[in-house]
Amino acid sequence: MEKELVEYIARSLVDDPEGVEVNRIDGEKSTILELRVSESDVGKVIGKHGRIAKAVRTILSASANKSGKRLVLEILD
Amino acid sequence: MIKEFEGKTEKDAIQKAVSELGLTQDQFEVEILSAEKSGFLFKKGTVRIRAHFDDSQFTFKDERPDLEPENDLEKKLIDFTTNVIKNMGYEAVVTLKEREQEKLIFSIESDNSAILIGRKGKNIDALQLLVNVYESRISEGKSQNRVILDAENYRRRREENLIKIAEKTAEAVIRSKSSKLLEPMNPFERRLIHTTLNDRNDVMTKSEGEGLFKRVRIIYKGSR
Repeated sequence: MEKELVEYIARSLVDDPEGVEVNRIDGEKSTILELRVSESDVGKVIGKHGRIAKAVRTILSASANKSGKRLVLEILD
Repeated sequence: MIKEFEGKTEKDAIQKAVSELGLTQDQFEVEILSAEKSGFLFKKGTVRIRAHFDDSQFTFKDERPDLEPENDLEKKLIDFTTNVIKNMGYEAVVTLKEREQEKLIFSIESDNSAILIGRKGKNIDALQLLVNVYESRISEGKSQNRVILDAENYRRRREENLIKIAEKTAEAVIRSKSSKLLEPMNPFERRLIHTTLNDRNDVMTKSEGEGLFKRVRIIYKGSR
């Protein structure tokens, strides 16, 4: 579910929605979501001073998280 | 939900609670915190009460009429907001409430509006930022629209609250002839504090710090 959330937001903001890929890595205490986008779109999901990335992380932390695990969003470039 | 009120007498305090909460007296329980005292010397006695009420029936419903989305852009913005919230795991209805020049106001109605707003509006502000980024993307920079997301009249309630904070703090600063630093606020909130106190000549305001969330200091100027 969190994976779909990140995918949906990222696809809505980039020029190349096909290039959006989210990998979910379940750890013991935390879940890592790795977001990969096309090279030219990296700035679109990070934003000036990381504003967009920060907003996505805030949205993620406010989502109905049933696993109770900490959610970490990593943006790969 | 619990809220405290103060008045000269018990009746006075209850009256204040009634008018501020917009409830009738039988809709909340009154707990008396400090009883009426015959004033000591010149000091007048005050009564503090605590009003206990059920906030499930106490909603801050946005009474503004819904506007029909008129164009593709408005429809897309409603869809985007609704979909993000749905993907967060909540149900919500998003409607257009105001259409001004270069400004669109949408309201989110949801059973989970408390979490969607977040502490000090943190979550609704994050969502609003994303919607604005999305808006400038789909309009390809052609529109100058600013999108505002609201829920349960949060924006207006927050504004009223900030004005109260500004005025209260200004009074405290004048009494102590010193200065006071407010909590970190975003640019809109800081602007509101500055403009609230702008036309006063007994205090001045100044922003301190770095980044998006600076803090406003209210400084005693003295009357000249």
